Amino acid sequence: MLLLLTALVAVSLVSLLIGAGSVGPGRALALLSGAQDSEARFIVWELRAPRTLIGIVVGMALGVAGALLQAVARNPLAEPGLLGVSAGAAFAVALALVLGASAATLRISVAQLGALVGCVCVLSVARFRGVGNDPIRLVLAGAAFSGLLASLTSLILLYDQRAADEIRFWVIGSLAGRRLDDLLAVLPSMLAASVIVALIARPLAALALGERVASGLGHHPNLIRWLVIACVALLVGAATAIAGPIAFVGLVVPFVARALAGPDIRRTLWLCLPIGPLIVLAADIISRVVVAPSELPLGVLTALCGAPVLIAVVRARRLPML
Amino acid sequence: MPFSPEHQFRADGNNNVPPPQGYWRFAWRSGHGQNSLLFEQRAVAVNLGLFGALLLASVIYLSLGSVKVAPMAVLQALFGNADMMASFVVQELRLPRLAAAASTGAAFALAGILMQTLARNRLATPGIIGIDNGATAFAVASIVGLGVSIAPPAMALAGATTAAVLTFGLAAGNGTQGYRFIVAGIGVGAVFGAITQLMLARVAIDTANAAYPWTVGSLNARPSGALQLLMLGLVLGLATAMALARSLTLLRFKDATASGLGVNVKRRRLEVLLLSVALTGLAVAVAGPVGMVGLIGPEIARSLSSSRSVPVLAATLAGALVMVLADLAGRTLLAPIEIPVGIVTAVVGGPWLLWILMRPQRSFT
Amino acid sequence: MLVQTTPRVATLIKRGRLGMMGILLSALVVGTAQARTLETAFGDVDVEGTPKRVVTLYEGALDAAVAAGVNPLGAVTTRGGDNVASYIEAHLGENTPAIMGVVREINIEAVLAQQPDLILAPAQLSDEQYQLLSRIAPTVVPPPQPLAPDNWKAEARLYGEALNRQAAIAEAIEAVEQRAVEVAEAVEEASVGGSAFLVRWMPGGPMVMSENLFSAGLLAQAGLDVQDAGLVGERGVHSDVLSLENLSQVDGDWLFLATLNEDGQAAVDAAKQSSAFTRLNVVQQDHVVPVDGQLWTSANGPLAAQAILDDIEAALLP
Repeated sequence: MLLLLTALVAVSLVSLLIGAGSVGPGRALALLSGAQDSEARFIVWELRAPRTLIGIVVGMALGVAGALLQAVARNPLAEPGLLGVSAGAAFAVALALVLGASAATLRISVAQLGALVGCVCVLSVARFRGVGNDPIRLVLAGAAFSGLLASLTSLILLYDQRAADEIRFWVIGSLAGRRLDDLLAVLPSMLAASVIVALIARPLAALALGERVASGLGHHPNLIRWLVIACVALLVGAATAIAGPIAFVGLVVPFVARALAGPDIRRTLWLCLPIGPLIVLAADIISRVVVAPSELPLGVLTALCGAPVLIAVVRARRLPML
Repeated sequence: MPFSPEHQFRADGNNNVPPPQGYWRFAWRSGHGQNSLLFEQRAVAVNLGLFGALLLASVIYLSLGSVKVAPMAVLQALFGNADMMASFVVQELRLPRLAAAASTGAAFALAGILMQTLARNRLATPGIIGIDNGATAFAVASIVGLGVSIAPPAMALAGATTAAVLTFGLAAGNGTQGYRFIVAGIGVGAVFGAITQLMLARVAIDTANAAYPWTVGSLNARPSGALQLLMLGLVLGLATAMALARSLTLLRFKDATASGLGVNVKRRRLEVLLLSVALTGLAVAVAGPVGMVGLIGPEIARSLSSSRSVPVLAATLAGALVMVLADLAGRTLLAPIEIPVGIVTAVVGGPWLLWILMRPQRSFT
Repeated sequence: MLVQTTPRVATLIKRGRLGMMGILLSALVVGTAQARTLETAFGDVDVEGTPKRVVTLYEGALDAAVAAGVNPLGAVTTRGGDNVASYIEAHLGENTPAIMGVVREINIEAVLAQQPDLILAPAQLSDEQYQLLSRIAPTVVPPPQPLAPDNWKAEARLYGEALNRQAAIAEAIEAVEQRAVEVAEAVEEASVGGSAFLVRWMPGGPMVMSENLFSAGLLAQAGLDVQDAGLVGERGVHSDVLSLENLSQVDGDWLFLATLNEDGQAAVDAAKQSSAFTRLNVVQQDHVVPVDGQLWTSANGPLAAQAILDDIEAALLP
């Protein structure tokens, strides 16, 4: 754990030092140790620092949400991005764009609401059928729902090409240009979610022993499940609202955390906190460096890097058990 | 022996055993003795009904559009006896498009029901394992001009094959079983999806427009070479699927049971999967990714047929019917604007799919 | 057919023309009928006489046709709307053409229903659509050209020749060039020239437009020094999203902000939410000009050129 925290601090520092611009590590270091360089000061403190901070928050949110979802669904494939959240948020954003908003001034709450509704819909449908033992069914249900929402989005965008043009860029997911104001706007929901997580971590660990055992220990399995779903929806909704749909982070982070932590959900959750930001920041740094002076969007990198990790993990003989 | 068949089914004078209830029996003598073929009555009725519906839908399809042609005139135009404009519309514009719609619908539905039998899950389609995304990515790459000058349909086929090979390769070890295979497919599909989005975001909006039909599935002016290949593949595939019908029925049970009943499970699963992938690849090369038909068609077939067997032919016909109706709706609802068929099927199919999910499941394992 | 072959095309055109249009054309061919052979992307196309019923499937073609004094019977919608572009509508008066679909899904039956003599199509028309359209009427598709600011003139001339209105088109092109010179002189006199960048603003950073665009060419002719900071590749129309850290690379004397919003000022305000944007010199001197993105980045033709020059004049010489 200490190792991970150190790694996180190191990567954050690197994120402050490296960018697509002309302020390289040398100048940035000099600035941090007190030199007077207004250009560097602006870039490091106004551009890179908020970006790093948002990256950390998004990484934590997605990582924890992924771990929670996998625990409650008892299903190593559950990932919010595969379950309709990104489709829901994209649909809400498309709707808003068609109704006249512009991508740059889009209110954060729109995307958050869409993500929430999408996530809850899919999970409700899957829960309705008695999810738990069939990983495939949950994933397929999520894929079906995402497909539906994606096609509705396409239908909307068929008529309004202006919206289609603007959403092309939002839907890939990126940390560039996000402001601290946006972060503050989603902070309440994130705090609420954190409180809930702190409270239900223990009952959730009991739930892993089975419903009867958990009831016998005095917990309420159904209540726990609904609370966890609410949490996941809040966390992922917030993250998607800030940064757009970012795939795979919620899937890979819990895998790695579980491999390190073992079956206890509480330890897994703790480990997700540094691992999530590590992955997000690393991807973000790469996105800045690869096509400088331009930038690649983050969502593409997480998909390109995350999918191989996913496949590699799934191929491994010993799958981390839930 | 008290329970020999002769006791249950009284043989008549010619030693012919009457067929079980609900079946027709077609018997003939050959050098090896008696041969007989059993046709399930319900299946025959369903298939004939679907075929009739398909014919009716086709005639309606050929007559509706921006240029209205009366149904009688359609029949005349098909044989070249009507006036020039009607002939042109029916023969050159709508007939090829109808053929494309029916073929791709049939192929998607057939691939879908094969995949669902394989995965023992009503919601499986080949698209889940990333084939649609692979085909789209390759087709879009050729349109936005990433240095390749091969036509989009060929590229789509190549993309579908690549995605399938990757998924197979990455899930190696466990064959087609378990969720490792599906997860590998999801991963491959996600990578291709990301690549497609990246490509579309980097080009001018006009080029992205040209690539648009390949991302949603459209039947507007489809390439004819790919269509002919698809029709050939469809006929072969359907024949193969019907020949494998008995194995398919048995594959629905657990592997141990199926093995015990004489099916070479591993080989059959691979064959069925290859067939499903090939059909999807050919269909995507013509119409782009229209995944929903692979769910709707089989579902219609299943609700009409008995659950004794896998309704392969019915699913194929139902898929063709669905696609023809969907394209008709897309062409006429908001004329002169055309809604691509992929969007129509997804918009209609999505809620229906969710309703299916929320219903209690019948005993289809 | 997976690969297009030109000889087959020519046969198809002749067959189609004789088959259907022979009847219609023979009724129209009078007097000054001359068969013109046009060089299109799909080979040589013969057009006879002065076509009366024209369908345009491309905004540049619609532009050129209206500039030449022809009112097409059918047109596709503009990007982002459900009708033709507003700058063209102003010239159309009451004869708005019937809608033939959107530019990425052309409704071929609707085209057929208009019974056209001539179809003017975009350069990216797919093979299959060309096969069908050329059976209906001679279809003119401009040959592909590398991206350059003057492409529109060659296209307009091609369309003008197809319409048998070469003189009108030449006049329209000449008018544009004349006006550009006048604007350049006025700009020089008022000393408001300098370097200019054309960008699309995204929250993550700007997308710099190529200096080979149609509108960039007009800006250059109007006396500004248009640049793209070397960011745009050879075939590209615009760059990747430029990092906000490098925003100073587009800090010139003028910044033209292409937006698809109707309210241009809203786009500028949106951009100003980014602190990297507000600290640019060009922003602080209030030399940021919001312009209609559809017009500036994908329209094409003599009328569009005039509209762009209007914008330039309004911005630089208020």
